[in-house]
Amino acid sequence: MKNLIDFFLRHSAWAVFLLYAVLSVVMLVGSRNPYQQSVWLTSANAVSSTVYGALGYVTGYFNLHSINADLEQRNATLEMELVDLRSQLRQLRLQLPDSTFDQQALASYRLLPALVISNSIAQTHNHVTIDRGSADGLQPQMGVVDRGGVVGVVEVTSAHAARVISLLNPDISVSCKLKDSDYFGRLIWEGGDPRFATLDQLPKHTVYEVGDTVVTSGFSDMFPEGIRVGVVTGKAHEVSAGDVQLQVKLGTDFSRLSEVRVIVNSRSAELRSLNSDSLPNNDKKRQADANSSKLSRP
Amino acid sequence: MTKTVIHFIILAAVLLMVQVVCNKIMLLGLAMPIVFIYVIYRLPASLHVNWVLTVAFLMGLVVDVFNDTPGMNALSCTLLAALRRPVFRAYAPRDIQEDGLLPSMAAMGTGAFFKYALTLTLFYAAVLFLIQAFTLRDWLLTVERIAASAALSMVLILGIDSLVDTGHGEGL
Repeated sequence: MKNLIDFFLRHSAWAVFLLYAVLSVVMLVGSRNPYQQSVWLTSANAVSSTVYGALGYVTGYFNLHSINADLEQRNATLEMELVDLRSQLRQLRLQLPDSTFDQQALASYRLLPALVISNSIAQTHNHVTIDRGSADGLQPQMGVVDRGGVVGVVEVTSAHAARVISLLNPDISVSCKLKDSDYFGRLIWEGGDPRFATLDQLPKHTVYEVGDTVVTSGFSDMFPEGIRVGVVTGKAHEVSAGDVQLQVKLGTDFSRLSEVRVIVNSRSAELRSLNSDSLPNNDKKRQADANSSKLSRP
Repeated sequence: MTKTVIHFIILAAVLLMVQVVCNKIMLLGLAMPIVFIYVIYRLPASLHVNWVLTVAFLMGLVVDVFNDTPGMNALSCTLLAALRRPVFRAYAPRDIQEDGLLPSMAAMGTGAFFKYALTLTLFYAAVLFLIQAFTLRDWLLTVERIAASAALSMVLILGIDSLVDTGHGEGL
């Protein structure tokens, strides 16, 4: 008996080594499964979100000048659009009865401003941490946008912070379409340059031009239709399947992300329960995407 | 003894904070500075390997939590801790191997410490970037990143070492 105990004591280093190695591998494998992680092992936990919050409070001032210029620009564009839409609306009202206008269409979406407290672009799987959490009504699988376009999707939330899967992460893809022609495909980032992503699964006969705007398709409940994502800069590498793949310059500048908005959809719980009823065995993480890509491959 | 423990707690806290910032950096898209592993290099040579493994695992875990890379640094650190003693034995001069020495340039000699640190740093960068690149295709980029990150980290680690250990038991 004594020999046995001695044996284990002498070789305890192997046991300790194996324990830590197995723990690490479990975490590593677990991390490939978004939306189902414990918030404690992410940058949205209480300690790291406080540290990042303090850092972000300081660094948030650095880009204010250029952000302000961008906002001015965007404000001007929106004002023009508003004037234009108002006049069109007035003309249409004269021709049609009041009940034709669906006032409820966008009422289910609400935008909640949040500050970025941590962000990465150099990794192969990037994440963004923001200073709003479940106490502000955030839930996993809500879309996040900034003034330039789509940023990502909320993954886990703690009370006052949330971790967002960045668009610069191959774990998520967003269903998008070309604004003018309505051809739709899947926007995904597969590593490399953080300014560009790929729009794939477009039908073979897609007509496009360099400079076409790419917007969200609205097929998933995370993003309403028509949110700007980027512009087409050319054809991506050739693929055998015959799908068209376009390179898209992202509208969001991830290297100086600071103010974002979370899209809170009051109907999303309803939609999600419908989706999970109809797709009983589907992998949760790809669920929203799967619904749209099923459509895109007739 | 207590003084050494406090020394290591402060050193670990400072280098972990620096590392959290360093992990957001990728110089020229290739080189990531890795500095916190210096704490593992510097743990006393006579410290039981179970303690080395524990300290290394916990430090890797802290870096992981802050950078949303669960398990990646923890696993790399655990492997690094397991490799530390054989590498130390291979390079350290025979006469200083078994006392309570804290490995550094001043204690081991510049050449021996350089080889010791370079082997471990290259190993760490290789494990880290290979785990990270697991799902991607670009092998050449991974190799370049390993080489560039190890080189940059070595420069920083040698700098930190000369700051922390001046050879007179003083320093930071």
